[in-house]
Amino acid sequence: MSDATKEAVIRTEKLTRSYSMGDNNVIALREADLTIHAGEFIALMGASGSGKSTLLNLIGLLDRATSGEYWLEGKSVSSLRRDELSDLRGRRIGFIFQNFNLLPRLSAWENVALPLAYRKGQFGAQNQLALAREALSRVQLDHRTDHQPMELSGGERQRVAIARALITQPAVILADEPTGNLDSKTGVEIMHLLKELNDEGRTIIVVTHDSNVAQYANRICHMRDGILTEGDSVHVAH
Amino acid sequence: MSLIDLLRTALRSVSANKLRAALTMLGVVIGVASVIAMLALGNGARAAVDATFQSLGANQIQIGQRFAMDDGEFKPLGKTLSFADGLDMLSNISLVERVEMSVSKTVKARFGKNTVEINAIGTTADALEGIASSGDVQPVGWTAGTLLTVDDFIGEGRLFSTDEVYAGAPVCVLGYQTALDLFSGDDPIGETIWVERTRCTVIGVVAELESTDVQQRYRSDPNEGLLMPISTVIQTLYEDEPSVYMVVHVTDVNRIDEAKEQITNYLRERHQVEQDADGNYLDDFDMLTRNDILGQQQEAAQTFSLLLAAMATVSLIVGGIGIMNVMLVSVTERTREIGVRLAVGAKQRDIVSQFLLESILISASGGVAGIVIGILAIPLAAALNQGVALLYPGSIPLAFGVAVLIGIVFGLYPAIRAARLDPIEALRYE
Repeated sequence: MSDATKEAVIRTEKLTRSYSMGDNNVIALREADLTIHAGEFIALMGASGSGKSTLLNLIGLLDRATSGEYWLEGKSVSSLRRDELSDLRGRRIGFIFQNFNLLPRLSAWENVALPLAYRKGQFGAQNQLALAREALSRVQLDHRTDHQPMELSGGERQRVAIARALITQPAVILADEPTGNLDSKTGVEIMHLLKELNDEGRTIIVVTHDSNVAQYANRICHMRDGILTEGDSVHVAH
Repeated sequence: MSLIDLLRTALRSVSANKLRAALTMLGVVIGVASVIAMLALGNGARAAVDATFQSLGANQIQIGQRFAMDDGEFKPLGKTLSFADGLDMLSNISLVERVEMSVSKTVKARFGKNTVEINAIGTTADALEGIASSGDVQPVGWTAGTLLTVDDFIGEGRLFSTDEVYAGAPVCVLGYQTALDLFSGDDPIGETIWVERTRCTVIGVVAELESTDVQQRYRSDPNEGLLMPISTVIQTLYEDEPSVYMVVHVTDVNRIDEAKEQITNYLRERHQVEQDADGNYLDDFDMLTRNDILGQQQEAAQTFSLLLAAMATVSLIVGGIGIMNVMLVSVTERTREIGVRLAVGAKQRDIVSQFLLESILISASGGVAGIVIGILAIPLAAALNQGVALLYPGSIPLAFGVAVLIGIVFGLYPAIRAARLDPIEALRYE
């Protein structure tokens, strides 16, 4: 199957985000055109303040564009209300954060099942536990199901976060500096895990300024002063 | 999120800060306890008045001798409230329909070898009517609430007549138990017994009675004693004229205050009641109507109830503000958590529910503690109020409802603030 015939998971057209700061209008993202197909592994690179986080927030439905269009799985999201965005985000987007963002009072499996808890009436408690176990098993944490985040190492915490991002079978997984808070050895393990998930067909976007991280991607996009340059697909030899 | 999930989340969050939650509850605890105690006082006063209603009709005035403490004992003031005062009242004051009078004295009664020490009650002929309408006692086996007539109280024979009262006839009616004690099961009607040093013919026996108030049953037996015409008792059992207890029945219930005034003037004139330097009468009698009792009870309960109401209002508002404050702190502390929940699909409604349920959990726990403390504090409230306090059952759901309402009202603003957080800002919060 060639790229052209694959359905675009994400497509943006002239996507722009600006903020007014007093009298000034700061443009954080300027007319970004981006098309991402299912199964891609994208690295979004740029210096801090280049606008890569702004673009990630827009793709992740955490923010709304000032102008331009964004289609997620072919559906325009610009007219959706806040709760509709939440619903879509919970079902179709998986987040991985630099600082893990696990809830400290919940066990590993409860953290993993959190997205299911907000899908009203669709997943019973037993079902949630079973799916969370399955997701934890995928990240090799079968033995940590009932541990609290405080009892886990940094690498384990990020694995729990990855399991949480996987559990809803999302259209795309967004990882914001996923190795930023980990030592280099653990960082490599996490990137290997993400690569494996990509090999299984998951679409992944990683935001990073680290070229070692970016090398796992099969396409690298660069951001600079709010302007996106779409890179070409590359075959990464690992 | 399902309600069970939300509840579990709220419970976990509250129990993670037990001391903080407990301190926050304090205002609600005090407020709710005050509500319980306040309503118990009101209820107690009402119950006391209701009890009095039963024994004192709306058209009746109680009159008794006034006593005063003198040299360590109660002594009657001024002139004796006499049997003649009552008889003449009937003929002098047109608003007076009839005057029930009674005196009582502990006496020895004897028949053959059997002697008992009992209460001899001297009454006018309509005495049983007063007992029948009081509702304090009823014949054994009587269905509660059924209307009683005087005849229902007479077991055997008859009651003495008005003529016998005027004549001071030596007749008596025995209590059920007293008849058994004196006659050991034989028929007493027509027999003559000794009451102290007076010979007296038994003309009737009262039906076996039981107290309608269960607690009263163990205090005194209504079946022990005897009834005699009041004139007979006064003439034969007393050396000096005794003071009598009167229940005056007024012809028109709407003119009871007028009647009271007329009786007051009549007795003041008859007893030559003097005035003090300020022109106040130094009455030697006391008068009481249903309205007087109601007023007294209400006045006593009202001051204290107002105090409790003020305390309840202030504590509940302070408690509510405390909850709001703690919830605002909690929202700030958990900004990141809110961001994560929004990121994984929580809707605004989910966040509002989560924080609202938490504040309700705090206020409702405070409510439960307050209800328990309030119930325990009822005897104390009664003692401080020098009156009766009785738990008002409706006050428990009411107080709990108020506590929950406080949680909702004061928890809403922090909850809405949490739900309105920008997910990006929230996730970035350190």
